[in-house]
Amino acid sequence: MLKYLIKRVLWMIPMLVGISLISFFIMHLAPGDITNNEAAFNPKASEESRQKLREMYNLDKPVIVQYGLWLKRMATLDFGNSFASHQKPVFWQKTDKEGNVTKGMIQEALPITLLINVLGLVITLTLAIPLGVIAARNHMGWQDKSITLFNFIGFSIPGFWLSLLLMYWLGVVNDWLPISGIHSLNYESLSTWGKIKDTLSHLMMPVIIPSITGLAGITLFIKNGMLDVLQQDYITTARAKGLNEHRVVYTHALRNALLPLITIIGLSIPGLIGGSVIAETIFAIPGMGKLFYDAVLMRDFPVVMGVLTIGAALTLIGNLLADIAYAWADPRVRRGVVRN
Amino acid sequence: MISSMSAEPSSLIYMVAGESASASITSNIFNSLLKYNKDLDLEGELAEKWEISKDQKTITFTLKPNLKWADGKPLTSADVLFTWQAVINPQTASPYASDYALVKQAETPDERTFRVTYDQAYAPALDSWAGLQVLPKHLLEGQDLHSTTFAREPVGSSYYRLGDWKHGENITLTRNPNSVLGPANIEKLVTRIIPDNSAQFLELMADNIDSMGLDPIKYSRIIPARPELKKRLNLYKELGNSYTYLGFNLKHKPFDDVRVRKAINYAIDKQEIIDGVYLGLGINIASPYKPGTRWSNPDLMPYPYNPAKAKALLKEAGFVDTDGDGILERDSKPFTFEIITNNGNKEREKTAIFIQRRLKEIGIDVSIRSIEWASFISRFIKTGDFDVVILGWGLGLDPDQFNIWHSSQQKPGQFNFIGYNNPSVDRLLEQGRTELDPDKRMKIYHKFAKVLLEDSPVVYLSAGYGLTAIHKRIQGIINPIPPAGVGYDSQKWYIPEPLRRNEISTN
Repeated sequence: MLKYLIKRVLWMIPMLVGISLISFFIMHLAPGDITNNEAAFNPKASEESRQKLREMYNLDKPVIVQYGLWLKRMATLDFGNSFASHQKPVFWQKTDKEGNVTKGMIQEALPITLLINVLGLVITLTLAIPLGVIAARNHMGWQDKSITLFNFIGFSIPGFWLSLLLMYWLGVVNDWLPISGIHSLNYESLSTWGKIKDTLSHLMMPVIIPSITGLAGITLFIKNGMLDVLQQDYITTARAKGLNEHRVVYTHALRNALLPLITIIGLSIPGLIGGSVIAETIFAIPGMGKLFYDAVLMRDFPVVMGVLTIGAALTLIGNLLADIAYAWADPRVRRGVVRN
Repeated sequence: MISSMSAEPSSLIYMVAGESASASITSNIFNSLLKYNKDLDLEGELAEKWEISKDQKTITFTLKPNLKWADGKPLTSADVLFTWQAVINPQTASPYASDYALVKQAETPDERTFRVTYDQAYAPALDSWAGLQVLPKHLLEGQDLHSTTFAREPVGSSYYRLGDWKHGENITLTRNPNSVLGPANIEKLVTRIIPDNSAQFLELMADNIDSMGLDPIKYSRIIPARPELKKRLNLYKELGNSYTYLGFNLKHKPFDDVRVRKAINYAIDKQEIIDGVYLGLGINIASPYKPGTRWSNPDLMPYPYNPAKAKALLKEAGFVDTDGDGILERDSKPFTFEIITNNGNKEREKTAIFIQRRLKEIGIDVSIRSIEWASFISRFIKTGDFDVVILGWGLGLDPDQFNIWHSSQQKPGQFNFIGYNNPSVDRLLEQGRTELDPDKRMKIYHKFAKVLLEDSPVVYLSAGYGLTAIHKRIQGIINPIPPAGVGYDSQKWYIPEPLRRNEISTN
């Protein structure tokens, strides 16, 4: 088992280098660089000054040389500094000679995105598991049909449209929830409890709306897993033993039906740090999605690469964790791994 | 007062950041030597007076006495000199360095005098000194302007100082008691960063922000239809400093033929575009200057919509529909071209559709393509690989447009990408650059605009109005709006006590 783990972890290094190489080249295939942004299309800004900027950022060098420079920096875990935000560190804070601390861009954007996504995942799961079980137990019954209908409506409604309608209804027509942003302007002057309440009310819409639209997939997963398990022989055995239905479903069946969920959660780990561009733009949340999107439009290469690399690393780690957790939860898999 | 903007500034040193989001914040924090008054004439800001030498090559600025930075330190000519040095420093990589690099020598004979000498008389110099926000030497000396933390915690000399910048959320400016121009009335300016325009408007509807820029639909349809909004908001309309144009690639046939360019100009109904795209909130222009300002030649008339004349001109240029398919041909090649524009700009895309239809009527087959900005610039504009573009120019307040029209400015990345080459225009632009007398300069640019209109290297499509909604609690706004715009003298705006927002006011 340990040997297997070490092998898996070591394999991640060449994988990461490969992913970063491909990302780097694809990013450079898109025409334009940081000097083509809209602000630079101003008759007062001269081509010479743009050329200087290009030299400063090594953008005049061949792509492979630029990649080499990037890799060299990455070897010391330095994600570099942003072009577009004038040398703000990409990942984590840096301290200059005078002791001034400049916060990293990912450092600033990550907590809010993580908070929203984790809350969203928790809400999705707490709703999806009971819904899936109910649907499976009443397969083809009215409960199943109405859950499916609800899920498909949630799945097909464009998130931004629902967001705008709810923002209008909950924020303008009724003064129930704040419309955008993550803090009120008087946030600093609130008590601790007030601060929590303020943040929660700001997060309500950005967390719940994507959860509803994300519910459909997971509910279906649970439902299908449950249907599958309920037809197994050991369920028949349990019923034959005379166990009550409650025990059969929630103790014997559900635990096994939840196994595929481990994979889903493992795979969603990289998704936890990638924010939704649309939701973040509409709700004015300075998170990872907006950071990445703006960086792509501005051709802010260090930021694009920073987000991609972290995403890739988390995907690999997520896969590994999912496999480990699966082995831990399912003896069949565990024995299979050891035998190989 | 709470306002909103859609993008966050990248730096609060405008000369480094270069984008409008930065300018709208820094203009409240920093001062320049000169500024434009409400009629768009230059007057002193930090400078008490300025003198131009006989040979027009040297400008001597005298600073007002007892100027102070917000931290109480004196503001002297040494700060001005430092700012100039910093801007031309290649390490700073300022996009606007070129104007300042023309200064041959800068000196500070005493604390209140700053003198610059140019190799030859340079008329846009005064405008450039109105654009240079003076930075404090004592806080920035020895630092790299490009990466200094000062860019996120600036200290200036103007009406406001930075109170708080919550990254990605809002920027709060508080009144600067040491303001060199006297204190402002409003105590706090909060700018919320709300990227989505609809979300901004919802915040305005819910009375969470006091002002925002509007698009024509909100200005002329949505707000007037809602009594509760109409009651609460004042709407302002002013001519913006920009215009949209259809630009020909003059190096491509048949756009090298002035008759073809004129024909297309006659064939486009500009009023229809203004009505259809901007809901009437724009005007037709005949020169690349803001109408009503001194530089705009009032005698010039835009090309009227005249399809008959357009057809006649095309016939003269050799275009006839020989095969009867409705499309004109010359040398048995059909007259067809592609209009490109940047995507995401709905107005330009709609404009292209109007033009497509009108040109079809006179027998020109036009296709439209819209392209993401960075690709648009590097693939098409820089390489000159286009037939016709729809783009816009933002106008500075100085009339010099050497970079846009002079034949020497055609290298990749320069701004005469349409390849305009007219010796008489070149000469006028050179004259205009070296003439510092405003009246003589005005005559030069009036003549320049006349030649340009006659030559029709671009079709002026429209100059749109800037539209703003401001809550009625903000009072003291100059009405009617002066040429300098609705925001002019905003330090005199005030909010009567009972109308103030208690969530941000401190007393």
